[in-house]
Amino acid sequence: MIPVLVCAGIGLYAACRVVLEPETPRKLLYLSVLNFAVAGSIVLLVPDIMALFAAAAYFVGSTLESNAIASTWAGGVKRT
Amino acid sequence: MMEYIIAIFGIIALIGAFTTYLRTSPFDKLIGVAIMTGGVIPFVVIKGYLDVAIVIALVVPVTTIFMLQASRRGMR
Amino acid sequence: MLGELVNIFIAAVLCWLLFIVVDVAFGLPEKGGVSGADAIASSVDRAGGDLNGGSMMGNIVCSPDASAGTLLAACGVYAAGVGGGLTAAVLVFIGNRICHDPGYAGTTGAVLATFMVYGLGMAGITAAECIAGMVIAILTIQGISHVQASRLLGKFWGWRT
Repeated sequence: MIPVLVCAGIGLYAACRVVLEPETPRKLLYLSVLNFAVAGSIVLLVPDIMALFAAAAYFVGSTLESNAIASTWAGGVKRT
Repeated sequence: MMEYIIAIFGIIALIGAFTTYLRTSPFDKLIGVAIMTGGVIPFVVIKGYLDVAIVIALVVPVTTIFMLQASRRGMR
Repeated sequence: MLGELVNIFIAAVLCWLLFIVVDVAFGLPEKGGVSGADAIASSVDRAGGDLNGGSMMGNIVCSPDASAGTLLAACGVYAAGVGGGLTAAVLVFIGNRICHDPGYAGTTGAVLATFMVYGLGMAGITAAECIAGMVIAILTIQGISHVQASRLLGKFWGWRT
């Protein structure tokens, strides 16, 4: 149970830092810590091969979300 | 021990909901929705509905991308 | 209780070394892969940090690289043994293609981390402690202080070139 508590506590810390950070691109750095913590605790809560797919889907999805927010903040996706 | 973990993820979801409500910039609102999703998905996983968790994790980023497309036209 | 915490600390140090070495060896701090990574790098640079270290932190945010590979490989070993770790490597490869990332740092890191976590399992450190250690390792890079972390990564990049 100790590893799950460590993951969840780090997620809570990262969520507090996201709220307290005033600048938008640096919020995304703290948000990635939250993504790592949640993806780790998904697998630790349910030890199953399906939980691995759930963690990978959550991680890739949230990474894509951060990528889209950062690209739009930087001035839009380059259209070729 | 399990109730502490549930309480921690509930607090994360509440933080996401309140920061979505209080911030005014559209980017900060979308980041708040991302925090709220990260707090909600472990509740689905604890009960064992892993397929529902996969669907949520894949639908929310697509929704975010659509919201960014819609909100960018008003911003710039 | 105390032994478990010591095991988590040892696993955190080993995972930190693994993903920093793989990322720097694949040249992630050189430039931002996508435009969002450049925005994050310039933001860290304005705050007083190092530009190359900021690029590497932006790349970690914007695409699944060796740190994600290490975490998912540890998850796979925890769920299903060595086969689960290699499955996680395939999933990281698909994630790289989705996020328009040309590099192979994630897949290489996942394969290396699979064997490292399996070897640590023989030495007495379980895969669950490796997952918690990886979360602590990513916290020290992205979560404590962006300025100090980017200076440290910039120093590593200076050693390589």
